Formats: sequence, C-alpha cells, structure tokens
Amino acid sequence: MRRSERLVVAAAALGAVLGWEALVRRGWIDGGLAPAPSVIAPALVALLTRPEVLTSLGVTAWEILASFMIAVPVGFFIGFTLAEVPFLGGLLRPLVNFLFGVPKSIFLPVFILVFGVTITQKIAFGVFTTLFVVITGGIAAVESVPRELLTVSRVYGATRWQMVREIYLPAMAPILLESARLGMIFNITAVLLCEIYGARDGIGYRIAAWGENVQMPQLYAALLVVAAGAVAVNEALRVVEARIGRWRSVP
Amino acid sequence: MSAPGRLRLGQVGLGLVLLGAWEALPRLGLVPRLFVPPLSEALGTLVAERREFASSLPTTLGEIAAAYVLACGGGVLIGQAVAASRTARRVVLPLIRSAYAVPLVVLYPVMMVWFGLGPESKVAFAAVYAFVPTVLTVAAGVGALNPALAETARALGATRLQQVVYIALPASLPSLVAALRLGGALVIVGVIVAEMLGAAAGLGFLITRYRTLLNSAGVYAGIILVLAMTGTHEALLRRLERRVAAFRAT
Amino acid sequence: MIPTVGGAKALLSLRSVSHEFVADGLRVPALEDVDLDVPDGQFLAVVGPSGCGKSTLLSLIAGLRRPSRGTVFCGGEPVTAPMPRKIGMVFQEANLLPWLSAIDNVAFPLKLRGVPARQRREAAARMLALTGLAGFEDRLPHQLSGGMKQRVAIARGLVQDPAVLLMDEPFASLDEQTRMVLGDELLRIWSETRKTVVFVTHSLSEAVYLADRVVVLSARPGRIVDDIEVNLPRPRTFSLTSSEHFGTLRERIWRHIRSGERR
Repeated sequence: MRRSERLVVAAAALGAVLGWEALVRRGWIDGGLAPAPSVIAPALVALLTRPEVLTSLGVTAWEILASFMIAVPVGFFIGFTLAEVPFLGGLLRPLVNFLFGVPKSIFLPVFILVFGVTITQKIAFGVFTTLFVVITGGIAAVESVPRELLTVSRVYGATRWQMVREIYLPAMAPILLESARLGMIFNITAVLLCEIYGARDGIGYRIAAWGENVQMPQLYAALLVVAAGAVAVNEALRVVEARIGRWRSVP
Repeated sequence: MSAPGRLRLGQVGLGLVLLGAWEALPRLGLVPRLFVPPLSEALGTLVAERREFASSLPTTLGEIAAAYVLACGGGVLIGQAVAASRTARRVVLPLIRSAYAVPLVVLYPVMMVWFGLGPESKVAFAAVYAFVPTVLTVAAGVGALNPALAETARALGATRLQQVVYIALPASLPSLVAALRLGGALVIVGVIVAEMLGAAAGLGFLITRYRTLLNSAGVYAGIILVLAMTGTHEALLRRLERRVAAFRAT
Repeated sequence: MIPTVGGAKALLSLRSVSHEFVADGLRVPALEDVDLDVPDGQFLAVVGPSGCGKSTLLSLIAGLRRPSRGTVFCGGEPVTAPMPRKIGMVFQEANLLPWLSAIDNVAFPLKLRGVPARQRREAAARMLALTGLAGFEDRLPHQLSGGMKQRVAIARGLVQDPAVLLMDEPFASLDEQTRMVLGDELLRIWSETRKTVVFVTHSLSEAVYLADRVVVLSARPGRIVDDIEVNLPRPRTFSLTSSEHFGTLRERIWRHIRSGERR
C-alpha cells in the first residue's frame, strides 16, 4: 500500500469513528447497544487498569502460549514423519486430510466432558485445533524441498546431516513459519471459544459475562483489546515470515 | 498385490480398525464411557432420540440457509468487486487479510445482545464468521485470471458484456465454487457453534444440553449429525468443483 | 593398473558398464556394455536419441548410482560414490540454492567440506570472475537470468578444482543466443583450466562445435555405436559451423540417430 493510500485508509477509519459518535449522539444508533466511542474509550482505559482484567488476559495468554508450544513441535514432527516415511504417509495422510476438513469446534463439548471446565481443557482443545494445520504445513514443507537440490548436494559430498541443515531447513522455513502463523490464528480462536463457552477465568469468560449483563462499553473495549492483540501477533509473525522468505521469487 | 492396491487395502483396514476401536475400547473399559461412548451407543441414541434431533433440524438448517446466502452471496459479490479494481486489490485485500487474524468468535456475545437468543443472532454470527474467508478466496481466484484470455477476446471483437459473460464468469467459476465450499463449511460450523454458545433451539443447543446432562452418547450423536451435514455439503461441492474444473483458466 | 589409451593416461574409464532400472517389477535396460576411456584434458561430447541413457551414463560416472554390471574408474580408482574433489557436475537446470547468493552458491561445496569462510569466499569469487560474473556475487538466484544461473552452476562445478567436469545438457533450457555465448565461454574456461569435460547434449551442432571427440549412443539400451574424433582447429569460431568438414561430421552422427529414432 502506498503511503497516500495508507493515509486515506486511516482517514476513513477516523471518519467512521467520528461518524459513529455523531450517530449515537443524534440518537440514530442505540447507545445502549452500540455505545459511542467516547464512552468506550474511558471504559477501555479503566479495563486495562483493573487487576482482575489483567489477570484474565494473562490466563488467556498463558493458555494460548501453552497450546501453541505443544502443538507446533508435535505437529511438525508428525508432518515430517508422514512426508518422509512412504507407507505410513500414504496410509495416514488421507486420514489427516479428512480430519483437517472436519470442524474441530463441534468437539468442544467432548473436551469439557473429558477434562471438565479447567485450564487443561482449554489447552488440550487449543492443541487439538492447531495440530492439524501444523501437520499439514509440515507435510507441505517437506514436499516443497526440490529433490534436485538434494542430488546436487550428494554430488558435492554432503552427509545426511548436512543435507538436513543446508538444504531441508532453509527450504522448509518459509512454509513452516506460515503454517505456524495460521495455526496461531486457529489457536487463539479455539481458546477464546472455550472461554466463552464455559470457563472460570480468561478474557473470553469476561466477554461472555459482560455480554450477559449487557455491559456494553466494557464488552466493546474487551473486543478491541482482543482484536488488537490477535492482529498484532499475526503481523509480528508475518514480519518474521517475510524476512525468512525473502529469497522466494515473487511469482 | 500392486502398491496402490496395497495402500487402498491399508486405508480401508485403518478405517475399520478405528471404527472397531471406537466400539471396543469403551466397552472394554480402556476408555471411560463418559469420554467416549461406544459407537453403537451414540448411533443408538441418534435413533432413539430421532424426534428430538429431527425437530432441531429445521431451526438449524434455516439458519444455515440464511447465513449461506448472506456470507457466500455477499462474500462472492464483494470479493469480485474488490478483485475487479487494481486499487481495491492493493488497498483492501491487505486489510482483509489482517482482519482474518481476528478471532471472530468473540463477536457472538455482541450478537446475542443485539439479536437475542433467537435464530437472528446465529445467522448474523455465521454470516460474519464465513464472510472474510469467502471474500479472500474469491479475490484470490479472480486475481489469477489469465489476462491473455481477456485480450484475445477483445481482439476477436467481444464487447465488455460478452467478455464478462463468456470469459470472466466461466473462468472464475472454479474459484467461486471453491469459495462456496469453504464459506459453506464455515457457515455450518458458525451456526452450530453459535447454537452451542447460547440458544433455545437447534442442533448445537441440543448438543450442549446433552453435555450438561452428562449424556455423552447424545453429544456424540449430535456430532455425528453435524459431520453428516458438513460431509454432504463437502461431497456435493466437490462434485460441482470437478464439473467446473475444466473451466479453469491456466 | 591404470587403464591407458594410446600413450595418454586415461583419467576416466568405463569397463563393460551396463545398467538397468527396476520399475513396477519390470527391468528396464538403460545402458549395455559400455567401454570408454577418456584421456586427461579431453573435451568429450556424448550424444544419442532421447532415452538412450546419456544422463544415466553421467550419473554413473558421477557416482550417484552404481552400475548394475561393470566398473567406472576415475584416476585409477573405482567410483562407488560421489567424489566431490575429483568430479564436479553441472545439470540442465542450474539447481542453485535459492536462499543463497551467487557467491555462497559457488562456495557451497567448500562449505560442505568444512573450508573456512574467508578461503571459501576467495575461491568462489575467483570462480565467478572466471565465468564472467564478477560483480554479481551477492545476487540471489531469482535475480539472475537463466544464462547467468548456469554460469554460477559452472563456477560451482569448478570451485574444488576437480579433474573432471560432467555436464548434463547444461544449455538445453536456454535460448539459442545464450547457448552460443555460453558455449564459447565454456571453451574459454576449458582452455584456461584444461579440465576433462564430459558433455551430454541433444544438439549435434553443439557437440561437434565444442568437443574434441563425440561418442554416439544407440537408442535404449544405450550402446556406443560410434566414436568420432573432431579434428576441427581450435579456437573454434562460428564460421567453422558452415564448413564442409563440420557438416560431414554432423551428418555422420545424424545418420546413427536417425536410424535409432525410427525404431
């Protein structure tokens, strides 16, 4: 996006906010359902200074991080195995593809049956949701390594270990990062879904509670925080992805 | 036996083993029945409670239909519109791609406040949930249209309208169908999840009710139904996709 | 005992080399009873109809495969595995590592051997200069044209100063003009470094233009059906390609290939 376009977008966003404010004041939008930005802003500040809210944010962040840290290595390992071991791969990959297409959210009640309403349940569900994205990414990454490059490295006397370090890893890095990023998006959604569905703490739990009590300013403020956080994480991962993938020619 | 034949046999065998395990492991007490009831019990509940399930379907299917029109219809239109203009592609698409990261599930409490517990909130939520990915898929597909085709058409004297009808539309059909496949799946999931989170009727509501009653067979029966729905949708759209795959502009 | 040819010592030697592939339970013969001696410093071209086993022959010499029967010797030793310090190889696609710059690509074989970074870079820079790419050291492959990528590949093949350079249709995916330019460049590099070159190609003109000697393989299974000495004067010039002698040599090769392709 060019700079001028960026300014236009920013101006449009500002205009939307001001327009919303105006419409609420005129009474055209029900301030009870959609409070004016001037009401949301102080609520946002108040929110971020309340210790219980910060604790909830911490709980959610912990659940997201823990499930991510488990799902990514396990998923990549499974993906590599399926891609490299021929018979196993041929056997299990259709299963993985099938499971990938199955919506994971509907299994949430099962997880609550098994784990109860606990943090473990949320982490387990997060892992469950993220795993398949990461496995698929692992398989794609291994398959993206051009076989000819392996032949070249053989001609020049590379050992097995050198091939992994000099060919496999650099070739796979961009796709691995991309699938980790996508996995994170699914992961965040899964954890928040858990918290909204049934939890004792976490920002999702608070969002559900504020919704139930029709405390709209707090609800909207929390939505902003969550959205901003998720987008920030995604953009950060995207920056890393771009840097690592610089050598990929633009098609 | 040849290698592909062996593989097929292996896959079928694996499927049977998994189904068999689903039945056997709970019965043998290796897996607590509360967590995973035997497959036959889940199916049995599905049959025994068929009236309950059947009465929940009209609500759910109605919500799915409404959301489908909004999300997929709207998604396709907006996606085409965005992809049509190069400026829009450059400016709007990156924004939408960033928006993809937002966990839309947190919008559901808002929907409930706005629309109540009834079907409207489910439709609204599922529509929003499926909208962004649909737009992205459509825009990506339209962007991949081969410009050489359009140029050839112009050289042969086609009018703007003819170009759209005879070139652009058929060429973008494969990605449209792909977008429907994705968007539709998300609509189904969105509706079910919304019903699980807060509703008075519908399949998702039923699943949650069975869960609170600790009736795991009922929960699995509901899940099997949902899987049947998504599976049917997937199969139908795959067939459609195969039909129009020949139109793919390479 | 080092196989000899005339008085010159043979650097490469193939003794009764046959090779077959097994696919879906069927045995597909690729090469049959190939006996070949290549003296040190010779530019040898290998031609033949499609599928005659030219590339297989090269991969056997490179040590990427072991022949089903017979032995390949390099410098008197049997070749059972790649010998990176004795044999370099250039492929039809340059096959550069896309995440490495040109100079790092050239230095890659040295890195595999554990040569320290500064020495690697110096050697690689020298090779890039030799192949006419001075100034392009830090470019990434996607920033290079097809011809430039092949120059990098040739530099990589030469960086360890091997005695032998194997080339598997290296110019086949380039346009004709680039092919001609690179052909002349290759001859210049060869005359400066005096490596033994085994050059597989589809193009008869290319074979006669570049080589000292052309070996013609039959259609599958590949057998040597002709061994032609190319005694055109060096340095080779473009005008030679319209000479009668050039045409005679090409015609001779073509007759073999034509009878082979008709089958």
